[in-house]
Amino acid sequence: MAGLELLSDQGYRLDGRKATELRKVQARMGVFAQADGSAYLEQGNTKALAVVYGPHEIRGARSRALHDRAIINCQYSMATFSTAERKRRPHGDRKSTEMSLHLKQTFEAAVLTQLYPRSQIDIYVKILQSDGGNYSVCVNAATLAVIDAGIPMRDYVCACTVGFVDETSLADLCYAEESGGVSSLALALLPRGGQIALVQMDARLHQDHLDTLIEAAMTACKGVSKVLDQVVRQHLQEGSTLRE
Amino acid sequence: MLKSKTFVKKTRAGGVMKIVREHYLRDDIWCGSEACRECKQESTVLQADACIESNLCPYPHYVVPDTNVVLHQIDVLEDPVIRNVIILQTVLQEVRHRSAPVYKRLKDMIQAKEKLVYTFTNEHHRETYIEREQGESANDRNDRAIRVAVKWYSQHLKADGLKVVLLTDDQGNKEKAEENSLVVYKFDEYVKNLTANPELVDRLALSKDDKAEIISSKVLFPEHLPLSKIQSGIKSGTFLQGTFKASRDNYLEATVFVQGDGAESTEVLIQGLQNLNRAVHQDVVAVQLLPRNQWVSPSSVVLQDDGAAKDDDMDEDEEEKALRISAAEAAGKPTGKIVGIIKRNWRPFCGMLNVSQIKESTRHLFTPADRRIPRIRIETRQASTLVGQRIMVAIDGWPKNSRYPNGHFVRSLGSAGEKGTEEAVLLLEHDVPHQAFSQNVLSFLPKMPWGITPEDMVKRQDLRHLTVCSVDPPGCTDIDDALHCRELENGNLEVGVHIADVSHFIRPGNALDKEAANRGTTVYLCGKRIDMVPELLSSNLCSLRSNVERLAFSCIWEMNHNAEILKTQFTKSVINSKASLTYAEAQMRIDDTNKKDDITESLRGLNKLAKILKRKRIENGALTLSSLEVRFHIDSETHDPIDLQTKELMETNSMVEEFMLLANISVAQKIYDEFPDCALLRKHPAPPPSNYDILLKAAKSMNVEIHTDSAKALADSLDVAKVDGFSYFNTLLRILATRCMMQAVYFCSGMDSDFHHYGLASPIYTHFTSPIRRYADIIVHRLLAVAIGADITYPDLMDKHKQSALCNNLNYRHKMSQYAQRASVAFHTQLFFKSRGILNEEGFVLFVRKNAIIVLIPKFGLEGTVFFDSKDKAGPSLVFDEEGPTLKVEQTTFHIFDKVKVTISLDDSNIQHQKIRMALTEPVIPGVSVAAPDVEPQAKKPKVDH
Amino acid sequence: MALDMRLPTVRKTVSLSASAFDRKDLVVPGDIITSDTGFMRGHGTYVDEEKLTASVAGEVQRVDKLICVRPLKTRFNGEVGDVVVGRITEVQQKRWKVETNSRLDSVLLLSSVNLPGGELRRRSAEDELTMREYLQEGDLISAEVQSVFSDGALSLHTRSLKYGKLGQGVLVQISPSLIKRQKSHFHNLPCGASVILGNNGFVWLYPTLGQQEEEAGGFYTSLEPVSLSDREVISRLRNCLLALAAHKVLLYDTSVLYCYESSLQHSVKDILKPEVMEEIVMLTQQKLLEQEG
Repeated sequence: MAGLELLSDQGYRLDGRKATELRKVQARMGVFAQADGSAYLEQGNTKALAVVYGPHEIRGARSRALHDRAIINCQYSMATFSTAERKRRPHGDRKSTEMSLHLKQTFEAAVLTQLYPRSQIDIYVKILQSDGGNYSVCVNAATLAVIDAGIPMRDYVCACTVGFVDETSLADLCYAEESGGVSSLALALLPRGGQIALVQMDARLHQDHLDTLIEAAMTACKGVSKVLDQVVRQHLQEGSTLRE
Repeated sequence: MLKSKTFVKKTRAGGVMKIVREHYLRDDIWCGSEACRECKQESTVLQADACIESNLCPYPHYVVPDTNVVLHQIDVLEDPVIRNVIILQTVLQEVRHRSAPVYKRLKDMIQAKEKLVYTFTNEHHRETYIEREQGESANDRNDRAIRVAVKWYSQHLKADGLKVVLLTDDQGNKEKAEENSLVVYKFDEYVKNLTANPELVDRLALSKDDKAEIISSKVLFPEHLPLSKIQSGIKSGTFLQGTFKASRDNYLEATVFVQGDGAESTEVLIQGLQNLNRAVHQDVVAVQLLPRNQWVSPSSVVLQDDGAAKDDDMDEDEEEKALRISAAEAAGKPTGKIVGIIKRNWRPFCGMLNVSQIKESTRHLFTPADRRIPRIRIETRQASTLVGQRIMVAIDGWPKNSRYPNGHFVRSLGSAGEKGTEEAVLLLEHDVPHQAFSQNVLSFLPKMPWGITPEDMVKRQDLRHLTVCSVDPPGCTDIDDALHCRELENGNLEVGVHIADVSHFIRPGNALDKEAANRGTTVYLCGKRIDMVPELLSSNLCSLRSNVERLAFSCIWEMNHNAEILKTQFTKSVINSKASLTYAEAQMRIDDTNKKDDITESLRGLNKLAKILKRKRIENGALTLSSLEVRFHIDSETHDPIDLQTKELMETNSMVEEFMLLANISVAQKIYDEFPDCALLRKHPAPPPSNYDILLKAAKSMNVEIHTDSAKALADSLDVAKVDGFSYFNTLLRILATRCMMQAVYFCSGMDSDFHHYGLASPIYTHFTSPIRRYADIIVHRLLAVAIGADITYPDLMDKHKQSALCNNLNYRHKMSQYAQRASVAFHTQLFFKSRGILNEEGFVLFVRKNAIIVLIPKFGLEGTVFFDSKDKAGPSLVFDEEGPTLKVEQTTFHIFDKVKVTISLDDSNIQHQKIRMALTEPVIPGVSVAAPDVEPQAKKPKVDH
Repeated sequence: MALDMRLPTVRKTVSLSASAFDRKDLVVPGDIITSDTGFMRGHGTYVDEEKLTASVAGEVQRVDKLICVRPLKTRFNGEVGDVVVGRITEVQQKRWKVETNSRLDSVLLLSSVNLPGGELRRRSAEDELTMREYLQEGDLISAEVQSVFSDGALSLHTRSLKYGKLGQGVLVQISPSLIKRQKSHFHNLPCGASVILGNNGFVWLYPTLGQQEEEAGGFYTSLEPVSLSDREVISRLRNCLLALAAHKVLLYDTSVLYCYESSLQHSVKDILKPEVMEEIVMLTQQKLLEQEG
């Protein structure tokens, strides 16, 4: 049986998108009252919930405190029902630890942590449904949650995965594409300045293709940032009009 | 752009899983018609005045075939008459799922510009996407999707005066389409009314209704089980899955190879028509084992389905009974019956037509060349013209009440026995892809006129000033290697091997590359070459001809005068060969002491080093084995062979060979160092000791000791093996030794741990030097280019599993090409003997079998079997001694290496399987040997074909 | 028991006037506010390549040359004099740590509290040992911000009789930005309950006490049962607070009171139903407007 044809000759992907098109992104901010900041974001069928607490006094070992900036604590988890196969997912397995670390690195690059010495910012992200690009969706959801919490950031952090097939870069891979043997790359970008917060890739790719792939990822991230921007502004309008 | 989504749910085996996938529907998918003014398309495929001359549809129209039409009638659809076709995505996907070969042909068809085929992505179009309804099967849903798309098209194009015709063979589908007031025709209906090409009708595959007419009411075969039942049966262990292999000798017998877990695999014997149950050679089938008391052993009877004499539905009980009896004798092997077909592996078969006795009949039986394939019933009106021709036929189906499968005529290859035809047959039968390169493939060729651009020069070393020359056999047009040698200022020698830079032209992943990867190798037949890459590359741009600038991949060594390598360098380069020589020309230059020009000096240097290299290699235990290679002198006008000649080896042959070996080894080491996991290498495993038995026994019979502990020991003992007064002995011994060897194979370094090349006594080896004719070399070029930073990599190159799959294909193609080559030689030998009549020649016994001896005629390099027994009459008494091995026929005993005399003639009693026949003349054995060399050939044969 | 369950419904997006939609004073992180270098950088902004850039999403506020961005929602940014309600999280040497919804826990020094026995009492080593008897982990207090440390942590004091340990009552946590700054944050509402509107967003509702027990110095808590009617009033107030917060209405005595009055036609538990909530808040806002205008 032939494998999946990721990109048809007519230029359509499995789900009918063209190579550079993103999935539909929908988001909401402020979904929880008790957290300092929270957001829910759907990118196609990948759905994530992000919650931010802080900045607050450091909990647990106080020795972790940094005298010149806040520490960021990230926790990534997946719901048992998030994939096609129901699976118990204990905290702290290798994959989610890695993902948590990536998230932490991403947000350390974006949040102005030096404003809050000796404090801690918690970012908890949970994947409710997984259909590829988990990392990116988490970053995008967490960005909204951080903004909702009123924590200062240099810029949005937007992330997107891209894959490389038949000399073409595919933006925002879905699960079928991710598992279809594409070398994929995840990139988190501060879109306005074009600074890259994190690039992550574990597939093989020749370095000559890397530039085109990163270029494609950056374009895709900017697309995501436009959507996020709309969501934030909308949320802002609602909040500020109501108060008057 | 509109994005809306629906969810597609799928369940997969092993518990139910809900898989949710997004499905975006768009409104920017255009119809592809020139006439349309609504769609904002940039380029169109379909013509505004789409005219296919037809009685049925005299108006301009586009045709939309449904999946089954594409699957079964691709032979007709490919015809240039049929144009302006719309292939729906639904159809394309279904075809892709169901048949890879048809899918490929369909894609080629879509690519071909003049066919005007447009692919409409209906599944993602907002108005043509439909969801599967409750209780609707996937197939019904797809049929409906096709109808909806056709409906959309016909409304869309109504204003432009174009109609859209749906072609389907499914009655239900047709009726529903008519309800929706679509223009719909049966495919055969449509084709029969095409005025342009009436012969297309013959190529129609039989549709279900047609089959119904042919069939007598009698049900001959048990029903096949549905796939779901087979799958559950396989899971529970009641059925076994395996590949069906029909027996060559007995049409009522077959085996099924069941691949077990790991290495363990079993063979299940199938006997009798009922049990065979319509399986065809190479099908993947499900088998049910019979109870142990019904197990039988393979019969030794040779049975051929000679249906021509019998009526089709005649009882075959008698034959089967004979089979049973013979089978019941011995202890049984696992025996089973076929309960279902998991996957048909039908391809078009070559063969000949048996014309029906009824004169007006349009239904005929077709006998494939391959005896393992059953005869096929076809319908044609051209029977009279097709008689005596080799034709190709595809199977359409095998209903349970038909004795033979039904098929349709695909094309004629030409008259049987003609050279062109036979060549085509042997290519087809050896699965050698030999069609002309498709448009799609050719589109990736560089545009002519081609020249070296400054960008090319930037990355390459300019070696145009070097005195490079090539040495090849006469008439060679695909020159892939060239050499140079010069003295450096420090007194050392610089030797360069320059290989055509094919990977520069063939970029990974494009159609050209895929085609080359599939072909795997160029196939050389007598007087014909089946190129792996299009001629523009093989004979021009990549061929390192003299006095033109060519791109090369160079391997340059610095050596001292003892041929020790001091430095190795790999680089992409540009060269300008100063001369293309033949082996003989090069030899002459070297030998001519008066010549002092650069080329000659370079050749002399090379030759000197090559001799040292060769000596070193042999000291290391490399084997020099022998096989007789014959060359035909081919008449330049008739292309018939006029003389046979065994290949002559000159010093220059081995000179070129030495440097190629050296380059291959250097490259192998380099790519393995760089890519330990995915280097493509070539290994030659050491043969298991038992392989040498025959060689040892044969040598012992002449009181010669052969050591086979190592390659070195073998080489040494072969060197000293001589028998006085029998000069040919050593050669014979080497021929025997060759037969003991294993096949050398390509493999991926990440998948294997044994790299040793036994024959060359090299720890590592690969193929680098012939990228024009071997695909493996192209991969090696790419790996090396990446290793030296001259090119970029791509994912498949670094994937050891893909690499390994590629190796399997290359090994298969390589093997088949060798078989094809041999078959071609055999065919030419036959032609040669046909023109010569009967010959009387001297030969040597090469092997001794239970009932025959195999004789080698050194003069022609020809091997033949002399049989002593026969079916129709009582044979002479035969005593076979395995220890010798010797065979005692009446009073005469045959040993290996015995000198005999035989007559050689052509047996053409079976036009599909002509062969060379040998008969013994000396020593004279009464009742066995034949007397005089010039008796009528018919009488001379000890037995006629069964 | 009848349960009121409902499916999630789509929130009605409040119709926004076109002018509201492109308000220039709303910025998001990364937005450049001005490239004029003459301005001073305030909270919620940073300077990137000489351009004043927003770092939070919110409203731009300008005071003379100072530009700040005030986010919709944030942690409590304490200033000297703010009234806060907080919870003791830790008892340390000579001080308590108080959680006040600010970025770091606030500090209440032993020297900043009124100990029983009068203002002039000397603090002895004994007092340090018995700190836990005055205030222990989990206790709620009301206090005032005395000073702000360099790292942003707050130092509190309770050196007034109105501050001190809180007894029986209900704590409501809402966003600090919804608390209106006023002269007094302690209110005895006419409906029979009292409220402390902490600037940090912690609101304390408690029964109005007959008289202050001066001697206790703020450390005595009455454990007398509170009457049912008082409890009902407090519960109603709590729900009103939540309703106002949900609709982002600023909280001060008048708004709370009006809301309380508007809610009287509904039973206490019904106030939390979204439609009732909306109705009450609308009524409240109407009343507030009437009063203003």
